[in-house]
Amino acid sequence: MNEQDSGSGNHSSTPEAIVKTKKGFSFSIVWLVPLVAVLIGGWLVYKAVSEKGPTITITFDTAEGLEAGKTKIKYKDVEVGQVESITLGKGLSHVIVTAEMTKGAEPYLTESTRFWVVRARVAAGGVSGLGTIFSGAYIGIEPGKPGKRTLSFKGLEIPPVITTGLPGAHFMLKAEKLGSLDIGSPVYYRQIKVGQVVAYELEEDDKAVDIKIFIDAPHHEAVRRNTRFWNASGLDVSVDAGGIKVNTESFVALLVGGIAFDTPANLEPGGPAPENQTFRLYESREQSLEAAYVEKRPWLLHFEGSVRGLTVGAPVDFRGIEIGRVTDINLEFDWKKRAFHIPVLIELEPEKIDWVGKKTMDRREGMDFLVEKGLRAQLKQGSLITGQLYVALDMYPDATPAKIVWGEPYAELPTIPTPLEEITRNVSKIIDKFEKIPLEQIGNDLRDTMAHLNKVTEDLQKLVQNLDASVVPAANATLEQTQKTLIKVDRLLNAESPTGHELKRALGELADAARNISILADYLERHPDSLVFGKEKGNEK
Amino acid sequence: MICPRCGSVLHQRKPRSLSRTWALVIAAFIFYIPANVLPITKVTSLGHAQSDTIMSGVIYFLQTGMWPIALVIFIASIFVPLAKLLILTFLLISVQRKWQWRPKDRTRLYRITEAIGRWSMTDIFVVTILVALVKLGALATIDAGPGAIYFAAVVVTTIFAAMSFDPRLIWDSMETNHE
Repeated sequence: MNEQDSGSGNHSSTPEAIVKTKKGFSFSIVWLVPLVAVLIGGWLVYKAVSEKGPTITITFDTAEGLEAGKTKIKYKDVEVGQVESITLGKGLSHVIVTAEMTKGAEPYLTESTRFWVVRARVAAGGVSGLGTIFSGAYIGIEPGKPGKRTLSFKGLEIPPVITTGLPGAHFMLKAEKLGSLDIGSPVYYRQIKVGQVVAYELEEDDKAVDIKIFIDAPHHEAVRRNTRFWNASGLDVSVDAGGIKVNTESFVALLVGGIAFDTPANLEPGGPAPENQTFRLYESREQSLEAAYVEKRPWLLHFEGSVRGLTVGAPVDFRGIEIGRVTDINLEFDWKKRAFHIPVLIELEPEKIDWVGKKTMDRREGMDFLVEKGLRAQLKQGSLITGQLYVALDMYPDATPAKIVWGEPYAELPTIPTPLEEITRNVSKIIDKFEKIPLEQIGNDLRDTMAHLNKVTEDLQKLVQNLDASVVPAANATLEQTQKTLIKVDRLLNAESPTGHELKRALGELADAARNISILADYLERHPDSLVFGKEKGNEK
Repeated sequence: MICPRCGSVLHQRKPRSLSRTWALVIAAFIFYIPANVLPITKVTSLGHAQSDTIMSGVIYFLQTGMWPIALVIFIASIFVPLAKLLILTFLLISVQRKWQWRPKDRTRLYRITEAIGRWSMTDIFVVTILVALVKLGALATIDAGPGAIYFAAVVVTTIFAAMSFDPRLIWDSMETNHE
């Protein structure tokens, strides 16, 4: 403490400072600062721990647009999580995205939770995710329904249509092929868009496509148990006597395809369809309406001739009215008869016929009766250009008698050959007859005849030559002579010639003479006595 | 001691220098953790939000090739505060343990600490200026993150800690040893 001592020495005039020492323990207020820091730090730690949600892993095919530590997981544009890291999966075939969800997300992370990457997409149905062009891609989530909790998910490559929480109903459609449908394709009811395709997948046996659609409330009530769905993609062009009709659900459906549904008016509307009921998706409106005829009777037809041009689905008509269709065509070899048959299975829809009056026979009797009256099936050409065949039913009272074979599983309806077949058969018969004609002999005879004829001709030729040599010069001379004579006659008769003149005068005199004779005769008739007594004087003219 | 002239309390040394410094240093250490873990800025550019901590900012500048800026930020925002805190801790321990090791150098260390301490605030100034300047609506916006507050707290507490430390205490132990 040298400094202090010297200081007090220099300023001796100043009074001595009084030394006070605080006693006991005293708490310095400065310790509040680290206390506050600890409190804040503790609070931060608590917040971080308490807000930490579950960490999940999602596998994607590609991490395009995803960034570790930046990409968010959003539901309805609300951030519910963030990507923490992106790593390549085993075999490098996929990427594993590890993300941290916000607290409280656990109940929604079930097996049915779906994740997908939202990027800017240009699809036929529209443009989506434009906002992500600037903000970068994010992961979309559709909260799952209550179920088994899980923390690892498989991300979808195509964004699904979110229907969770929307009023409406899902239905399943079975189709042979997907056509131009896609997720988001519209569903129309009376040309109003009432829903969309939510998902599709191949059936397990690969035989059909299952299409899941969602119909918004309240239109889902329009779906009845017997509602028909059909593919409304593209144009429906029909040409008939009424002109050309072009039918389409909407311009969008024309471009991207769509589904339409309706309940056929000729059917009693069934009760409302329960959610997830499966319907068949028909290929066109016509098909769906045809399907409205519930009663279908299969019949078997056996054809012996070629059925080229007959296809499954070809119409079966009765006097031009379609009452069914071909459902199957086969080829059969009958060992017993040692012949080929072509069994054709058809489906008749008796409901397409209006049955007037009271029913007097049962179906079997009725059909037997009709066949007895001549009901036969026949293949006929529908179009000359395409060669399409169809099955025509008609009454042929003159047909050879036949009966229905009431076999199992199908009853067989008698057939008659096609007109073409008949012609072919007749032609072959004619050819047979032709073949029986002894053409060779005829030919030989003909040849002999020809030889004879040849000879005759030769003789004739000789004759003609003779004629040429002897007769013709004579004839020529005669002709010349005749000509000369004729010239002479002509000259003689000519009016200018003296002979002619003489002749004319002679003729005039002759005429006068005749007249005089006639007068004489006349006179004599009146006065026959004059012949004896001579001419009376007073009577002269 | 009380001043005979004005009557105010006089102290031979800064009162409770050690405990005050300790308290502030500890507080600074605690604040130092969130200051570096939490994002200091939040840049929203064309809908793309990005949060940066001090270290990620340094890394960003390094990656984009602007290493002088990275160096400045690293020295001003990470190295200096940490060095200051460590030096103060070292001085505090040395005084408490009454070490006699190179008191001159230790005093110099303290002077340096005091002098450079305020420069750590540059980071906070940069952030505040950026926040005020970059308000382009949807195009780009910069917001201060929670880390900025803690970082400011670190700088302020270390400055106070340095102020509350009495360098004469370094020499006190030398004297008692001599006596």
